[in-house]
Amino acid sequence: MTLEDVKRTDSGRALMLANEAIVRGALESDVKVVAAYPGSPTSEILDTFSELLDHFGDYRMQIAANEKVALETVAGASMAGFRSLTSMKSVGMNVASDSMFSLGYTGVNGGCVVIMADDPHAHSSQSEQDGRYFGEAAYVPMLEPSTPQEAKEMVKWAFEVSERHKTLVIIRTTTRVNHQRGMIQLEELNRTEFKKKQWKDVREQYFTVGAVARRLKAKLLEKRDNLREESERSIHNHIDAAKGDIGIITAGVSYLHTKEALRNLGLNLPILKIGTLFPLPEKRIAGFLRTLKTLIVIEELAPYLEDRITAIAKDANSDLRIVGKRSGHFSEMLEYNVPIVEKVLAEVTDKKPSHDYDAVLERASRLKETLPQRNPIFCPGCPHRGTLWAFRQALDRLKIRDKIVFNNDIGCYSMAFLPPNEFSDSMLAMGASVGLSAGMEMTLEDKIIAMVGDSTLYHAALPGIINLIHHNANVTLFVLDNSVTAMTGQQFNPNSPKDAGGHPAQKIDMEKMFEAMGADSVTVIDPYETRDCINPVKDAIEAEGFNVIISRRACALYGDRIKKEEGQKIIPSENDKETCRGIYACIKEFYCPAIVVDESDGKMVIQQDLCDGCLECRKVCPVDAPHHIQVER
Amino acid sequence: MKDSYDIIFAGVGGQGLMLLSAILGKAAVDADMEVLTGEQHGLSQRQGSIYVHFRMGKPISPLIPYGTADMMIAMEATEALRYIEYLRDDGVIIMSNRIMPPPGETEEVALDEERKTKYVTVEAIEKKLREITENIVLLDSLTLAKEAGNPRTENSVLIGAVCSCKDFPIETESVRKAVLDLVPPKTRDANSRAFDLGRDAGGECLG
Ligand SMILES: Cc1ncc(C[n+]2csc(CCOP(=O)(O)OP(=O)(O)O)c2C)c(N)n1
Repeated sequence: MTLEDVKRTDSGRALMLANEAIVRGALESDVKVVAAYPGSPTSEILDTFSELLDHFGDYRMQIAANEKVALETVAGASMAGFRSLTSMKSVGMNVASDSMFSLGYTGVNGGCVVIMADDPHAHSSQSEQDGRYFGEAAYVPMLEPSTPQEAKEMVKWAFEVSERHKTLVIIRTTTRVNHQRGMIQLEELNRTEFKKKQWKDVREQYFTVGAVARRLKAKLLEKRDNLREESERSIHNHIDAAKGDIGIITAGVSYLHTKEALRNLGLNLPILKIGTLFPLPEKRIAGFLRTLKTLIVIEELAPYLEDRITAIAKDANSDLRIVGKRSGHFSEMLEYNVPIVEKVLAEVTDKKPSHDYDAVLERASRLKETLPQRNPIFCPGCPHRGTLWAFRQALDRLKIRDKIVFNNDIGCYSMAFLPPNEFSDSMLAMGASVGLSAGMEMTLEDKIIAMVGDSTLYHAALPGIINLIHHNANVTLFVLDNSVTAMTGQQFNPNSPKDAGGHPAQKIDMEKMFEAMGADSVTVIDPYETRDCINPVKDAIEAEGFNVIISRRACALYGDRIKKEEGQKIIPSENDKETCRGIYACIKEFYCPAIVVDESDGKMVIQQDLCDGCLECRKVCPVDAPHHIQVER
Repeated sequence: MKDSYDIIFAGVGGQGLMLLSAILGKAAVDADMEVLTGEQHGLSQRQGSIYVHFRMGKPISPLIPYGTADMMIAMEATEALRYIEYLRDDGVIIMSNRIMPPPGETEEVALDEERKTKYVTVEAIEKKLREITENIVLLDSLTLAKEAGNPRTENSVLIGAVCSCKDFPIETESVRKAVLDLVPPKTRDANSRAFDLGRDAGGECLG
């Protein structure tokens, strides 16, 4: 399968996810150091490198505590003269950007490439953030591919550009590129041995401040001009020639939607496809604009290209009509597809779309009127379900539901905002729950409660926690310790005794850490002993000072994987209908997808092929009706 | 003529949709066809709604335009309806009769003291799907999988049924080979039987 294809040493063809093609491109470029923190839609880049680590044995890799550390790690390796790569999701760049801007000034040594993936539609992100502005703002070149093949080629070119100009290079993707699987042409793999170097052989200076910064800035502008020439020559900006004075400029996945929409309309319009988002090939763009009366700019999210092209058009072709977002034809929201693009192209060229897409959508939404929603939900066996249940019970017993603020954070537990919990007063960005708590604790009479996962704890919550303790804050902190970074695919983190490739790593001792920082209390609970969790949670909420509850139990998916590796069976549960009194605590308060109702007698039934056998539902049941089945499956 | 043969896969997280897509991908590549997919990775929880856009021939975009997919393969019945906007009129639907009720629906059914609120049924779903197409292969995939000797071979039942579809562009034996290459070696026999059972059942439905 595809992992096997990534390993191949020959130059055949293969079907690959773009994220795997990115890994392959880096391997073909003889990448030597990889560091990353997971985040959709980039996680498979980290996962693939991790799985291949021992197979190749000639690159080094770390799963970093956060994106800033990951970027600094690969930049450090680059300063030591090694080719290195990191990947992060859109909002990861916000975290990494402090160092990223400085690296723009200092430059790097060995080829240093950053994959940054935006998520139009916010499929799995807090926002539809458009990261294309980072390149320009930091004077760091930025490329954007459309297909897996192009992603691989751009990675290779990025390493070359990075070394030629001693600059970081960012490759910006979007979800529909990262998660696109297509045919790619492999090139031979010529890996070299990993060998440490000596600083004296590679030494350069990498600092920027005051007068040095001003000197570096002047050099940076020169570098930008050189990079502009690189963009003008690049094969990654190309024209699909055609006759006519209506033309298109587009980039990324929008290029693919555009080509298919044109085919559907039987149209052939000239297209300038942009691969270098920064610096833009301004001369080529100007030349293209001069041949046109009307330009259609097709890009998702902000009018990044449109605004820059409009500025170029002022001199190159001031009469040009520009169709885009500012003209009201395209939205700054959501992702695009063929129908969205086709409709605009049809309108501008006075044609009819190949299908009545609106009618199709209308009919479908009528048919779906009574379809039950399928919200994201905790997996069967998820420890978060039990923790949140106990938390709710504690609040009810204390009768303080309306006297607390609950600051949620980023992870699977974010789903606390959905039924049956439906509480969350805030949820901004990784680690933000503790920072917000400081401001609220200062200004509100309510009890302030924050909740983070183990990965979030070490990613960005620590400074906020230290800040709370330092200021003697009266806050209760929940740490949901499920051993891994669950939401993005159960990667290891500083709370794991393992690192990339399953290599041993030092697990941070969480209790000792909190004690050393000066927490007033640290209590460990087991969410599978759901009922027993209520009292300790109550105590921690009632207590004055900074009190920590660590809810510890492995992520169910991760736990199942370990069980499978160890040859252990998962024993599902069943509901004893004789005992069951139809109280429905398991249904109303628990929302486990393995649980359904038997319509004939109204009793709860556990779907055994979905059940994880955690028996949290037994702990929630006032009469202990669920129990493990007798026969193993 | 269309330039591509497009399939929309639908199902629930944990059902093995990605394996299904990998199997057809391998079959297509081995048969020298171009493949392009738009997949949904991301949130890793089970039991969410998931889909794959699977395109063969000369597609350009990774996403199938609304109303143009030639086939839908649904591993769960309500998920077939959830992505129905992608299927063309008279397209083929290969679907399991399995329904996995979301907890919100279970709550409504359980808490109705008069017991009037019922789960959505396969029949109700099928009736709506029939407004788009009569070419529906509704499979009791779990029963057929058990008949094949392994309840975990439901994927192969569905893939077998796919091959019973006359205009499906990959040869049956190439698809079978891809199935057997990608399933765990110990389950090959059961998967091969499941494949046949699915193909026979599909043949009966589509005539
Ligand atoms: C800055 C940033 N990086 C990465 C992500 C992607 N992401 C979303 S949830 C999550 C996992 C958090 O793990 P943890 O806090 O341990 O919670 P769990 O999912 O294990 O419950 C990550 C990494 C993000 N949203 N923001």
